[in-house]
Amino acid sequence: MTGIQERLATGKGKFTPRYPELGTGPVSYEDSISQEFFDAEREAVFRRSWLKVGRVEQLPRTGAYFTRDLPGLGSIVVVRQADDSIAALHNVCAHRGNKVVWQEHPAQETKGFCREFSCKYHGWRYGLDGKVKHVTNSDQFFDLDMSTLRMPQLHCDVWAGFIFVNFAEDAEPLRSFLGDRFLELETYPFDKMTQRWGFRTRIKGNWKISIDALLEWYHPPYVHGRFIDPDVSKAEKLVPPVDSYHYDIFVPHMLTSVPGPPLLPPREAGRAGPAVRDQKWIYRLFRAGLFGPDDVPDLGPMPDALNKGRIASWGNDQLWAFPNLSVQLWARNYYITYQYWPEAVDSHLYEVDIYFPPPSNAQERLAQELVVDSTIEFAMQDSNTVEATHSAVATRATRQFQLSDQELLIRNFHKVVGDTVAAHQNADPTQEQR
Amino acid sequence: MTSTLPEQFRELESYVEEWALPTRQERYDMRLSKTIDELGTFYDALAPRAEEAIAYLNGLDLNDLPEDATRLLHLLYSLIMVSYPVNVFKQPRIPDSGAAFFDTVVEPAV
Repeated sequence: MTGIQERLATGKGKFTPRYPELGTGPVSYEDSISQEFFDAEREAVFRRSWLKVGRVEQLPRTGAYFTRDLPGLGSIVVVRQADDSIAALHNVCAHRGNKVVWQEHPAQETKGFCREFSCKYHGWRYGLDGKVKHVTNSDQFFDLDMSTLRMPQLHCDVWAGFIFVNFAEDAEPLRSFLGDRFLELETYPFDKMTQRWGFRTRIKGNWKISIDALLEWYHPPYVHGRFIDPDVSKAEKLVPPVDSYHYDIFVPHMLTSVPGPPLLPPREAGRAGPAVRDQKWIYRLFRAGLFGPDDVPDLGPMPDALNKGRIASWGNDQLWAFPNLSVQLWARNYYITYQYWPEAVDSHLYEVDIYFPPPSNAQERLAQELVVDSTIEFAMQDSNTVEATHSAVATRATRQFQLSDQELLIRNFHKVVGDTVAAHQNADPTQEQR
Repeated sequence: MTSTLPEQFRELESYVEEWALPTRQERYDMRLSKTIDELGTFYDALAPRAEEAIAYLNGLDLNDLPEDATRLLHLLYSLIMVSYPVNVFKQPRIPDSGAAFFDTVVEPAV
């Protein structure tokens, strides 16, 4: 073992046997290439789970709104009410079904501030609560009951500043859906990390295959080898040992924690040394690297629930909220969310949002720029690998695949999705005939 | 030539038009439009002045930067943008990133 591997090794052995329900056998990825499963999954998983759609900072005052066009689910308007609460409305007019809120391109999301929503088709107007306020030439209609006409509401709730919606008629409360392991992180200072970058791309592969790519720490020396060392045999020796990571499963959610480099001492100006073509010099100059800024802003006390695996040199906790959200809490006081929106069995939208505390000077701002740049360069390699994997799995030339111990979260993730689909179909036998 | 950068950085003026770009998307597009040698030339011009530039900018209010200082900050963002290609990838594109591409939905004003 190399130095880093000796320092971080724990000798704690395999994780998968702790979860006997996962088994250890080969797995099928039919759930990622079957159209029939995809249709069932949309009903059972996406129409019945709490889905993050934004942050409260995006709605700073009454009348602030944004739309989300969620593939296969519909367009919604998320809006700050007069009483400061946040509501979500289906973006559809009660008159003849026109999409109420959009700008220039009906398929594009929009945002803004308003007192009421006005339909572009025949001028019907709705309050922030979705109730109709004005029907053009209402006396020309027959038996209109203005008290019931509205843009329909869907369930909407907020946890730790994250806005969630649920398309189900009978959604369980958000807090019970998230469970203790999320609730104990409620005091994390998300509200102080308002410096945001948001990125989005479309990936030609199943959304679960895309999540799989971030559930294990087996791929970095290969997919991202050049970030570590252009020589793969050297890169292999520079990644932490398999037993230095931490995994936890709390169905339907899960967690993995990652070791990271120790913090550097504060640097005096003028110590980067002569300019050279070496990325380590860039990291020194800008006081940042792959694990975040070197200068960690003090955000006050952190919840005890961080780093529950007690990794000696902790890098981050990556919480996975079922079904499609990852929240990564980094030791260096920033956080990243990843989110996956399936469009079709072989396509999804992938969103990456990176949040820091507002920088107090140019040095801090530049450190953030370097972290953002590194994150996106990594993410692009991951994305392309997902497309390569999906295209090959979809041939069905091979139908059984092998998972190692450090891929237990992949095993768990596909099981939870499959169990959720099966439970929904068993509860509602008509589903199977649809 | 009049400098659009703070006076002490006027020797970098020839890079302003192409690299003092306010958005990440513009900087990324510029990176892809260049050869790796051109990226290396820009890197070699900026890097020796970077530490001095950071110190200069640290003396100003980040949220109220004059235009000349803003251009200097944008040049430093571009130095970051070209650093992986020059130091690690040896090509403008990320290796094995194929058609992958991210749209920027939101980024800080400064």
